[in-house]
Amino acid sequence: MSIIAIENLEKEYNTNGIVVRAVRGVDLSIEPGEFSAIAGPSGSGKTTLLNIIGGLDRPTGGVVKVGGRDLSSMTAKELSDMRLQRIGFIFQAYNLIPVLSAIENVEYVLLLQGLGKEERTRRARAILTEVGLESEMNRLPRELSGGQQQRVAVARAIVSEPDIILADEPTANLDQATGAGLLDLMKGLNNSKKITFLFSTHDPMVMERAERLIYLTDGSVMSDTKKARGKRTGRSAAAKKRAPAKKK
Amino acid sequence: MKIILSIAWRNLWRNKRRSLVVISSISLGIFAMILSMGIMNGMNRQMVENTISTSLGHIAVHRAGFQDNMKLEYNFFPSEKIIAAVEKEKRVKAYAPRIKSQCMLRSSEASRGVMIVGIDPEREKKLTKIYEYMLKDKESAFLSGPGDDAILISKSLAKRLDLLVGDKLVLMIQDREKEIVGVGMTVRGLFESPVDSFDQFVAFTGLSTLQKLTGLEKNISEINILLYNKEDVDQVKAGLLEGLADKNLEVLSWKDMAPSLVSAVKLFDTMMYIFFAIVFITVIFSIANTLIMAIMERFHEIGVMKSIGTRPNRIFSMVMMEAAGLAFVGLAAGVALGGAVTALLSVTGIDLSFYMESMRSLGTGSVIYPAIKAMDIFMAMVIVLVTTIIAALYPAVKAARIKPLDALHYI
Repeated sequence: MSIIAIENLEKEYNTNGIVVRAVRGVDLSIEPGEFSAIAGPSGSGKTTLLNIIGGLDRPTGGVVKVGGRDLSSMTAKELSDMRLQRIGFIFQAYNLIPVLSAIENVEYVLLLQGLGKEERTRRARAILTEVGLESEMNRLPRELSGGQQQRVAVARAIVSEPDIILADEPTANLDQATGAGLLDLMKGLNNSKKITFLFSTHDPMVMERAERLIYLTDGSVMSDTKKARGKRTGRSAAAKKRAPAKKK
Repeated sequence: MKIILSIAWRNLWRNKRRSLVVISSISLGIFAMILSMGIMNGMNRQMVENTISTSLGHIAVHRAGFQDNMKLEYNFFPSEKIIAAVEKEKRVKAYAPRIKSQCMLRSSEASRGVMIVGIDPEREKKLTKIYEYMLKDKESAFLSGPGDDAILISKSLAKRLDLLVGDKLVLMIQDREKEIVGVGMTVRGLFESPVDSFDQFVAFTGLSTLQKLTGLEKNISEINILLYNKEDVDQVKAGLLEGLADKNLEVLSWKDMAPSLVSAVKLFDTMMYIFFAIVFITVIFSIANTLIMAIMERFHEIGVMKSIGTRPNRIFSMVMMEAAGLAFVGLAAGVALGGAVTALLSVTGIDLSFYMESMRSLGTGSVIYPAIKAMDIFMAMVIVLVTTIIAALYPAVKAARIKPLDALHYI
């Protein structure tokens, strides 16, 4: 069963009477353990799509199911709990809580899940060691480099062992070497913990390393390529309407 | 909840200057509240104590009707039964018989209607502070005994009547038969109490002298009673009423005899609470403004917290805890400062002699000794905490309702 199933997804924004269609009829299916990226130019709807999958935004039309549950039927509290239990977020700007140390930032998610102090600390230490920050655990975010902060963000996202990690431009603020190291780390976690990773990116390095590349243009899926198999797996109905099928 | 508390506490110190300004405003508010409560308590206490120590005592036994109509005809004989009932009460520190009646004092220059009080000087020394209020001039002296036929008047009354110690005046009074009788009296001494109205309208002579003059023989107008502890007044009054069991007598506390004083104390207290309300409305806006600014600054951060699964109630709690943190720090500083300054002033006193006339008309005396009550400190703490909760509600609800997506887009 797909861990993320999207059917005919639509999202419109109404800004001062001007309607903008950010996502247009997207059909998408993500299988457990995938290491996929949604790419496309700015304004193509990548982040909107990621936000809807993460329950941060509601679609205007269509169906989004995460782990078999239709997000449209969930209340704000249920969505909040789903984000806590099943989804990890990694943001472009790291978004750590600035008054908490690295280990406290990681522990915070476990605390929200109701874990005891001992278990929280044990898991937070283990995960920070895994991402190479064993000596930086007690530092505040402002005392860490961008790459280190993003590693803390990764640790925070995976410490609760979610099914899915949604990463919005995770390498955008990092230099190439740091970004590559971070991608290696996430790929390693994908392999070892079987966590599904879904990126939104326009970083060529991420696109290159992703096992599946979903390319969006103007809110529609223009291409969907599984690199391991080396072939396209399908396009959205809207994309088919908007552009003739490309030759293989 | 511990980590939310920890985040809230650390958030407080992210903008130290702003937090310190709010903490200062809270602590200054509490400082002002404790000090002004202390001053008001001191004034009220001194007003009451001065009234008790100059004229009323804590309790008085009268012939029924005397309090409403202070005429000579409302007199009674201080029987052994009455005296025994008073002496039996262990909470009684001192008592003294008195005659009180309206009279006219006339000098060669002026005349004035006053209340003449016939006293037993030795007993009176234990009951009131008249002896302490006597001017310490060589000429000025206290009455020698109940039979002393001289008169004590205040310094201000002497000035009005243009009299000095040793001068003569004429006292005219209605006797028991309602005849006007007059007698020449020598001014034995001058006194000056902290209560202007008392000084203007009260004079003293010997009890026996006044009994003879008015024809009351052994009868008196009242027995004034001083207790060791003012708080026992109501209990002792009830006990005496029961012990005397005489419908012709009334037993009144100082509150019964000076209802206007009780009203004045209540009025001052009410004014004080209005003042506090104004101060703390300002504090409410100060705290609310600070918290709203802090939340706007952390709009994005709160969005992140919500996006990773923090429920609105925890965000609400975090903001409330930040407000509570501000309140507690401000409270501690304000209570310490207010308590210390008020305690110091309660020893040194606040000299308001430049407002001498106003203070004397209030009956407080010119030096105010602030008094702190544990209840005042408790009230200050409750008011500040309630104020903080009210002030934090709007920002906390606003923070709890932040939509994570809107906040994530907000830079």
